[in-house]
Amino acid sequence: MGKKSKKKQVLVCCGTGCIANGGLDVYQAFKNNLGELFELASSDDIKATGCHGLCSSGPFVRILPDDITYCQVKASDVEEIIEKSIKNNELIKRLLYRDPQSKKRVQNLEKVAFNSMQLKKALRNVGLINPESLQDYLDRQGYQALRKALKMKPEAVVKEIIDAGLRGRGGGGFPTGLKWKACQATTSTPKYIVCNGDEGDPGAFMDESIMEGDPHTILEGMLICAYTVGASKGFIYVRDEYAGSVTALTKAISDARKNDFLGEDILGSGLNFDIEIVRGGGAFVCGEETALLASIEGNVGEPWDKYVFPTEKGLWGQPTVINNVETWSNVPLILLEGAKKFASTGTAGSKGTKVFSLVGKVVNTGLVEVPMGTSLRDIIFTIGGGVPGKRKFKAVQTGGPSGGCIPESLLDLKVDFDSLNEAGSMMGSGGMIVMDDRTCMVEVARYYLQFLAGESCGKCVPCREGIRSMLEILERICNGQGCLEDLDLLEDIGESVRTAALCALGRTAPNPVLSTIKYFRDEYLEHIVDHRCPAGVCKELSEFYIDAELCNGCGLCSRNCPVDAIQGEKKQPHVIDNSKCIKCGECINECQFLAVKVR
Amino acid sequence: METDALITNESEELDAIINKYPGEKRYIMAIMHDLSRHFNYLPRPALEATARHAGVPFSQVYSMATFYKAFSLVPRGKVHFKVCDGTTCHIKGSQIIIDEIYSRLNIKPGETTADLQFSLETVNCIGACALAPALLANGKVHPRLNAAGVRQVIAEYGGPEYGKKE
Amino acid sequence: MKILIDGIEIEAQFGETILEVARRTGIHIPTLCYHEAFGGQGSCRFCMVEVTKNGSSRIVASCTYPVNDGIEVKTSTPQIDKIRRNIAMLLYKRAPNSLFMQTLYKEHLCTENNLVEDPHEKCILCRLCVNACATMGASAISTVMRGTDKRVATPYDDASAVCIGCAACAEVCPTGCIEVQEDNNIRRIWNQDFTLVACEECGKNFATREQLAYIMDKSKQDAPATELRFCENCRRKVLARKLETFNG
Repeated sequence: MGKKSKKKQVLVCCGTGCIANGGLDVYQAFKNNLGELFELASSDDIKATGCHGLCSSGPFVRILPDDITYCQVKASDVEEIIEKSIKNNELIKRLLYRDPQSKKRVQNLEKVAFNSMQLKKALRNVGLINPESLQDYLDRQGYQALRKALKMKPEAVVKEIIDAGLRGRGGGGFPTGLKWKACQATTSTPKYIVCNGDEGDPGAFMDESIMEGDPHTILEGMLICAYTVGASKGFIYVRDEYAGSVTALTKAISDARKNDFLGEDILGSGLNFDIEIVRGGGAFVCGEETALLASIEGNVGEPWDKYVFPTEKGLWGQPTVINNVETWSNVPLILLEGAKKFASTGTAGSKGTKVFSLVGKVVNTGLVEVPMGTSLRDIIFTIGGGVPGKRKFKAVQTGGPSGGCIPESLLDLKVDFDSLNEAGSMMGSGGMIVMDDRTCMVEVARYYLQFLAGESCGKCVPCREGIRSMLEILERICNGQGCLEDLDLLEDIGESVRTAALCALGRTAPNPVLSTIKYFRDEYLEHIVDHRCPAGVCKELSEFYIDAELCNGCGLCSRNCPVDAIQGEKKQPHVIDNSKCIKCGECINECQFLAVKVR
Repeated sequence: METDALITNESEELDAIINKYPGEKRYIMAIMHDLSRHFNYLPRPALEATARHAGVPFSQVYSMATFYKAFSLVPRGKVHFKVCDGTTCHIKGSQIIIDEIYSRLNIKPGETTADLQFSLETVNCIGACALAPALLANGKVHPRLNAAGVRQVIAEYGGPEYGKKE
Repeated sequence: MKILIDGIEIEAQFGETILEVARRTGIHIPTLCYHEAFGGQGSCRFCMVEVTKNGSSRIVASCTYPVNDGIEVKTSTPQIDKIRRNIAMLLYKRAPNSLFMQTLYKEHLCTENNLVEDPHEKCILCRLCVNACATMGASAISTVMRGTDKRVATPYDDASAVCIGCAACAEVCPTGCIEVQEDNNIRRIWNQDFTLVACEECGKNFATREQLAYIMDKSKQDAPATELRFCENCRRKVLARKLETFNG
């Protein structure tokens, strides 16, 4: 290894985000030029890896051991990279990341603010290994945790997980170890292990990045649990849209079977366990565990009342442990570093780290993993670099469609399961969507309700009819036909849905409405009383104009206007023709001088 | 329905797809995924055959096919656009993409052009939030689109007659 | 085990739900989607009650909550009454054309609001019809779509190849929203016509031909047995006569 480590290695990010930006072409260009390179002797030295995190600047090419990271690389840049940086140790300045805070080009991406506060635990291998290579995983202590667990008593393994204080990363935050313990105590067989990879929160992709970037860690977590509770069969339920995850997991399962990590008498321990992938059908509600189990069984994904937990009666009525992707990826880590070390990070009630997908109106978008208890301000402003352009921060939405919107006044909130609940939002699976003054909070609530109206399974009355009614009211307010009584009605219905709905989707469905009414009541009132949408989003309530003092006549707005509603001479203030304007907002988004305003 | 009748070699293909799986209820979704990929939608005879194969009432298979959004009961276009309307894309302007497609192709989400060339649907989140707003065209992600970008994508897939302003 | 419902101590069996225990004790808990024949679905949430155990309380659906030792149940509290009122209001707004919902709306003292009403709708999606069809018939109907678009239908809304026209769905429907027309020995239901069969004794129509064929097929009989030739009333009479001949 010593000799090899001096050799150069090229990591090309091929996460979903980077693929969309041409990551695979970059990877292929390196592969095509492999023959000419004496420095990179084998294809192992060029790795297509999972997500590097800072998706807004991808595709990334990272060169080791020098640790140079190039951003927004195109296939046409590859020859130059090979020529300069691999053969001649030269830096290509223009491809280096430009730190938005210091405005300086940075060679080592690990050192920029985006990465400085992060602590990669669940994502420890993502971006560093080729997810299709079992050897890469083994080189990074892969399956060592399983070997260790197999030598322990099952009760001792459970104790380790309980002591670590690991809570379910899928949203509920239920203590993982207690779940396992309950399942361990049941006598009925067979037992099942399920991985919930139906990450459906719009604006969240952390589970995707683990499934496609480090699939073996999920298998290892499930194996450890299987040994602990005595299960023989596992299922990974993958969201329909995640083709890359299915590919990576399929390869990982096949390699694990060939190498004695899955199948009969695993590693000579007597453990028999195999895993099957089930592709979801495109239903957000299947992220709810009982709906997911119903879906695996071959039914419509309707949840059932969880008065008896799945650990007792789950899949086909048998004891079942179901955990989310990120939870599974923490399991091997706990066994490797020990419960004590794991629990040394985080807050009193929430241990370890949490991966967030930091997206929306924020400079650095991508995946961030931070210790529990990191403040929203640090995540959004230090790591995320704040709101782009000259816009103003307005709110951050956490917890997916059923989460809530948190205002600026609560930015110092230390993020963990309990603090977010108290703020009227929730952790959910870790979506974090930053909103600026161009986001209308009433419309955001309407958007989430519309989402949930289509994604509710439609089984129980409070969720189905409650969402329908709340959506109807919000649409009315967005169209300028709301009345003050509507707010009371929203709150009244919302409270009943919160207590009476069958599953977590329904019970949390009012959150976007109730939290925006709580923190942004003024904005509702502006819609209802003044018939005005200050963000310029609700078309019936907005009218745009160009501030002649601020406009320098660059013409960007008129070039981008889809209906040619903006006229003006070069370098002269432009004017919007409101009879033509369709209020799409393209001009506001394009204007670099905040000259386009809402009346 | 006449349009749904399968011609002979199609019905052989249908059998081949279905028979890859054991006749158990739990494989219905996997079968429907394969059928959907093959036919570009779920033809009625295919659903009926799936129900027979799995030994469940047809109504149950139909219930599933209409419950899960991955499946369509009407033919999709040769070019299938999926506009991401996840939260990030939504607040970053997915509506602009939807509106532009409507103004160029006259189709709304869930619809297909009369010549079966293009179809459009919205999806919740394609996991490319850092590249919002995004459009998937036959599975390929087109990141950070504005109206002009949409016109380009349409032109790319449909030739110039679709790219021009009318 | 012993449980308390509204202060009354009741002996309950493992595996029973709160609703079952309450019903057999004569304690009223209102329900919409419950039927003894199919068990609890947990979908209407009208039967929610407050359960207290070890000092902590939660609101649960009594039709699916299995009793456990020492629980204390309250079938009516201000919070529960509010939930029921809102459910009655929401379902009335959905199905204002049903007399059943109009009554319930008044009973629960719902206050007026400006939510839109669909004047033609009667269905409250309790799904008792779907359950009835699965139990008595051949699962000709199911729920289709999801979310707020969910409804009950035959596949493609076409005449179903497996419907036997037994009308068990219509019989169990609380709001009378499934249309059954009978005219000249023809029953029309779910967009399909069925021929009615008359009782050999009294001459009244009592079943459809398809229904009798279905029963015969299920019970593997070739010739129509007594129960397939007479209506329920007459069947008793015929049997009684048979007994007389035996005795005589």
